[in-house]
Amino acid sequence: MRLIEFDKVSFGYEQVPILKDLTLSVQANSFWAIIGPNGSGKSTFLSLLSGHIKPQQGTVCVDQQMITAMNTAQRAQKISLVRQEFIPVFGYSVFQTVMMARYARQSKRLFENAADREAVRAALEATDTLTFAERPLGHLSGGERQRVFIARALAQETPILLLDEPTSHLDLKHQIKIFDLLKQMQTQQGKTILLVTHDINLAVQYCDRVLLLGSDETFFEGPPEQILDSGRIESIFGVQGYQGRIQKEKFFVPLGKFSKDRPG
Amino acid sequence: MTLTPQKLVLRSILAGVVLLGVMAACVWIGSQDVSLADVLKGPGGEGSPNIQYIIFMQERLPRICLAAIVGAALACAGVVFQAILRNPLADPYILGVSSGAGLGSIVAVLFSGTVIYGRIAGHFGWIAEATGMSSLMIMAFVGAMLTVWLVWVIGRVTGRTHVTGLLLAGVVVNAFFSALIMFLLSIARARQLQSTMFWLMGHMMLPENPLMVWFSGGVVLLGILCLLMLGNSLNILSFGSDDAQSLGVPVKRTCFLAFACAALITSVAVSLSGLIGFVGLIVPHAVRLVVGPDHRLLIPLSAIAGAAFLVVADTIARVVIAPAILPVGVITALVGGPFFLILLIRYTKNIQWGST
Repeated sequence: MRLIEFDKVSFGYEQVPILKDLTLSVQANSFWAIIGPNGSGKSTFLSLLSGHIKPQQGTVCVDQQMITAMNTAQRAQKISLVRQEFIPVFGYSVFQTVMMARYARQSKRLFENAADREAVRAALEATDTLTFAERPLGHLSGGERQRVFIARALAQETPILLLDEPTSHLDLKHQIKIFDLLKQMQTQQGKTILLVTHDINLAVQYCDRVLLLGSDETFFEGPPEQILDSGRIESIFGVQGYQGRIQKEKFFVPLGKFSKDRPG
Repeated sequence: MTLTPQKLVLRSILAGVVLLGVMAACVWIGSQDVSLADVLKGPGGEGSPNIQYIIFMQERLPRICLAAIVGAALACAGVVFQAILRNPLADPYILGVSSGAGLGSIVAVLFSGTVIYGRIAGHFGWIAEATGMSSLMIMAFVGAMLTVWLVWVIGRVTGRTHVTGLLLAGVVVNAFFSALIMFLLSIARARQLQSTMFWLMGHMMLPENPLMVWFSGGVVLLGILCLLMLGNSLNILSFGSDDAQSLGVPVKRTCFLAFACAALITSVAVSLSGLIGFVGLIVPHAVRLVVGPDHRLLIPLSAIAGAAFLVVADTIARVVIAPAILPVGVITALVGGPFFLILLIRYTKNIQWGST
């Protein structure tokens, strides 16, 4: 089933075009990686999908409904968003933070009900954050905090989950934990996940589809095996590197002028 | 730990009882001894008025009520501005209310004798009659609201949801209007100067008309209730407008509503009492340290705590150099500063210094 459809979408800031005639469709229950150099429009793509910005041309549809035609609460029941590492100004507890996900479903009520509490508890359990539910966000480690934000997205109970570089500040163990958690969400809860990342190798290992954005409005879309070949990565990112294969999947190590295994 | 309606109501009632206790205690303190027995004797006869009764009914009681109204408004507005600007340094005056009200009141003082002013005041006399406010208060209110509107419009130009633009606009407008105030003060005559300076320092004025207490109290209560209904949205807005939007908060509308209500109650407070600093900055932080950052609890409790704090501060201002009266703004800073430091040390483990 096609859940998300981009139809000839163009967007740019001032005189700088970023995305041009982007057309693609996302099947329900798939795991996408959005990859590309800085400024190639990865975050813009997410913002267009979440309805934060409107396309200058073309349309973005979710469930055959134009995203720009929905109101904020309707969108919040379709799409949830996890951003990069972030600490709010005031010291909300983990539980309070995750409870905010229920806003779109309770916006006329001032207080949460039993169903809200149950959804929050389930989300905390699924992300392994229940043990520190009463602690303030600022007292957690980066990995714990990011799991809390994923819990919040889960408690929002949306079919689509967007993540903007959720692992960029995390160490290797926590990066893998987040990707495992997301894969679990996809397979067990049927979520459709779109994730912006700079980590090509993790994308290859975990994702079903890749959207590779170039800096000159070009884009490539398909299974990671096909899209992420070394020639294309080298030309789009302007780096050289080494591509190999572990067992099934490819990997890519970028190499620079002073690398010990420098190219050439 | 979730916030239930029972918990909210219980804590508000508890805090409200404490506030009433504070007000009931402070009303008997002053340069003149007044006892309950004296007051209960009634206003007295034609030839022998009961002075105690008159002091109590016409000075103490309205003054205490005004202090409570102003304190509640300032503390509550402080909470809201800190939330929508996502800035713990924000206070109710940060977006131009203070300088706007100051300018309005100074214009009222300087031009009150002129023909044009008299003619305009004549046209709007019904407002003064309906609200019980003096023309100085009305001018301060109008100045405050106009300035906040100006800041909002300038802030909007820099981006729909960027609070930095709003903050900068507030700072610049405040600075510009402060310069205008200085200019007007420097050409004012000595007699006019004194009443303006008192106003700028924060000074409870005695209401000439009891209607004013009812009117301003009603407006402030209504504003606080509106803000309480936005409690959930304000919690989410603390995470930034992007997060808020993706969680389903209509950011533009919520910000505008919260901003308008907070600006309205601040303007009412400022026009009643001049510039009383510190309440709107300190009380929200103090209450947040004790009860946590949930705005559904923070808004009513800050309002009540602000009211109690200003009632106490005003009582101190009345007695410390009695029979003369200190500007209450002096007391709020002198008392509020150390009090806040104690809280800060006591609850330091609850604090989290986040990034924006």
